[in-house]
Amino acid sequence: MKLYDSFRSALQSLVVNKLRSALTMLGVIIGVAAVIAMVSVGNGASQSVQNAILNLGSNLVTVQPQFGNDQGLRGAGAQAQNLTLDDMRSIQDQLGASISAIEAEQGAGRWQVTAAGQNWNTQVTGVTESYPQVRDWALDSGDFFTTSDLNVNAQVAVIGSTTASNLFGDGDAVGQTIQLRQVFGGGKDARARILNFKVVGVFATKGSTFGFSRDDQIIVPITTAQHVLTGQLNRVNAIVVKATSSETMDVTTSDVNSIMLQRHKISDPANADFTVTNQNDTLAALSSVTGTFTLLLGAIGGISLLVGGIGIMNIMLVSVNERTREIGIRKAVGARRGDILVQFLIEAIALTGLGGVLGILLGWGITEVVHRIPQAASLPLLITSGTVIIAVGVSVAIGVVFGLYPAMRAARLHPIQALRYE
Amino acid sequence: MTQGVVELRGITKTYRIGREIVVNALRGVDLDVRPGEFIAVMGPSGSGKSTLMNILGCLDVPDGGTYFLAGENVGKLSDDKLAGLRNKHLGFVFQTFNLLPRLNAIENVELPLVYGGDRHARRQRALGALEQVGLGDRVHHRPSELSGGQQQRVAIARALLNDPSLILADEPTGNLDSRSSAEILSIFQRLNDMGKTVVMVTHEPDVAAHCKRIVRMRDGVVARDEVVVKPRRAEDELAVGIGAAE
Repeated sequence: MKLYDSFRSALQSLVVNKLRSALTMLGVIIGVAAVIAMVSVGNGASQSVQNAILNLGSNLVTVQPQFGNDQGLRGAGAQAQNLTLDDMRSIQDQLGASISAIEAEQGAGRWQVTAAGQNWNTQVTGVTESYPQVRDWALDSGDFFTTSDLNVNAQVAVIGSTTASNLFGDGDAVGQTIQLRQVFGGGKDARARILNFKVVGVFATKGSTFGFSRDDQIIVPITTAQHVLTGQLNRVNAIVVKATSSETMDVTTSDVNSIMLQRHKISDPANADFTVTNQNDTLAALSSVTGTFTLLLGAIGGISLLVGGIGIMNIMLVSVNERTREIGIRKAVGARRGDILVQFLIEAIALTGLGGVLGILLGWGITEVVHRIPQAASLPLLITSGTVIIAVGVSVAIGVVFGLYPAMRAARLHPIQALRYE
Repeated sequence: MTQGVVELRGITKTYRIGREIVVNALRGVDLDVRPGEFIAVMGPSGSGKSTLMNILGCLDVPDGGTYFLAGENVGKLSDDKLAGLRNKHLGFVFQTFNLLPRLNAIENVELPLVYGGDRHARRQRALGALEQVGLGDRVHHRPSELSGGQQQRVAIARALLNDPSLILADEPTGNLDSRSSAEILSIFQRLNDMGKTVVMVTHEPDVAAHCKRIVRMRDGVVARDEVVVKPRRAEDELAVGIGAAE
C-alpha cells in the first residue's frame, strides 16, 4: 500500500469522526502546551537568574573574609579584619597581565543625601579605580575617579542613574555637589555630620539584581570611605578579580588562593581566614537548581502528555474494534499485515502530530498571555527551537508508542473472523 | 493436460471449538476447477462448504492435502503471501456485500489496486469495471445510497478489478429479492460467457440451476459432482418477468 493512500485513508477516518478526533487530540494538545509553557517558564527563570548574576560583572573571582571559628564561637563579621587594600594591591602586582582587572570594596552603609534641595537615602560603597572594568559598568557621563583621587582621599562620587534623577531630575549631575549626612543621637541632642562630595560621573542604567536596584547607589574612592565615612582603616569587605575569560577562571582562582595563603601565612588551606568564590561555581550551582526546577515543570507537563497518549491508545483500540469488518475486507482483497499496521499507525501519528502542532501554538499563546501579566513581565519566557522539536518529536513518538499496540492488534486479525464480525 | 485454475487433492481441515470439541470440517476433498467453469457448491449447514470456500479463497490454510491455485502451490504460505495471492488471483463476492461504508462506489472498487498494482491506471480500470456491471452512473454514491442489488454489483466490480483467475461468490443472492438476484446471476453468467471462472456457494436449487456444474458437499467430502445439462439463463427470466424466476 502506498504511503499516500495510507495518509489519505487515515485523514479520512479522522475527518469522519470529527468530534472524537478533536477530543482525543485535546489530550495531546494540553500535554504539549503544558510542556511548552512549563519549560519556557523554567528556562525563563533560569535565564533571569543567570542574567542577574552576570549583571554583577562576568568572569569574577571574589575573595571575602572567612569569619573565624574559634572553639565553637563564631566571630562577628565586623571583627574579622582580615582583608586589606594591600592584599588587593599584592594580587594586582603578582598576577599582572594574567587577569583582566581587580578591585576592592568596602560598604559604607546607608546615608542621607541632599542636593539642590532634594533629599534621598541610599547605599554608599567605597571602591578602587578599576571598579567599572571589573563590573562591566560603563559611565553615562563624566569620568570614574582615579588612583590619584584614592591617594588623597578625595571626596568625589560616581552615582547611579536612579540616584542622579532623584537628586537632580533631568539636569546634569556631573560637577554638582552632594551632601552626605549622618545623624548622631536623638531628640534635642541630635547632631548631624555633613560631608560634601563632588559628583564626577553618572553610571549607565544597569537594572536590578534579585530585586535590588543597582542604579540607586553612590560609589566613592575606598580610601575616602575608610578614612572619612567608616573609620575602618585599611579594611575591605571584598576583593573582586576579573579573569580574562571563563576558561582561565579556575587558574585565576587557584592563583588568588595561593597568594592569599602566602600573604596571610596560612599553611593549611582548611584554616584560611578568607574564601575565594568563582562565579562559574555560583552559576553552576544556581543553574543546577533552576535545571531541577525546569525538569520538574517539564515532568508535570510530561504527565499530562502521557495521559493524552493513553487516551490515544484507548480511542485507537475502539477504532480497531469498530472497524474489524473493514480490516477483514481489506485483508480479503489483498492487504498485508504491514499495510493494516501502517494504516492504523499513521492514523495515531496523525492525531498526535496534529495535536502536537496545535499544542505548540496553544503553549506559545499561554506564554504570550503570561508575558502580559505585569508581575511576570520581567521573566524572559523562552520557547527555544529545541523545546519545539522535542515537543513535536515526543508527540509523534507517543503516536507510535500508543498506536503500535492497537495497530498490531488490527494487523494480526484473522481475515475470516474479521469478516464474520458483527 | 491443460492447467486447472484450482486443483485440490485430499484437503482436510479440522477445527477445535473450545477445549474438547473437534470438528472435522473437511475430510479429504478432491476438486478440479478448469478455466471457464461456473460451479455451484451446495450442501446443508455443516457440510463443510464454507470451510471449502475459505480454503479456496486463501483466507485459511488446509491441515492436509495439496492446493494448487493457478499453478502455484498454496501449501502453508505465510499470511502475507496469502494476501498477495488473494490480491492477484481471487475476487470475492459476499452475501453481505462487504463494502466499506465510508468510501463511495468507485473508491470501493479501487481497493484491490490500492494493495497491488499501478496507482495511475486505478481510476480508469475501476470506472471500466463499474460500467461492466451497469453502474457507470452511480460512481460517486456511497453504499448507503445504493440498493442491495446495486451494492452487490459494486462488489462484483471490485472482484473483477485485478482480472482474477477465480471469482468466489458466497451466497451472493442470499440477501436479495428475486429480481435483484436474477440481475446478479445474469451478470455472473455474462462474465462466465466472457471466460471468467466462477465458484458460487448457494443452498437454493433455483440459483444453482444457473450454473454449469453442481458440487454437492456432505460431511466434509464431495458427495456428488454433476454437470448441469442445460443451465437456466437469468436474462431470459428477467425478460419474462420476476415471477418466472420463482
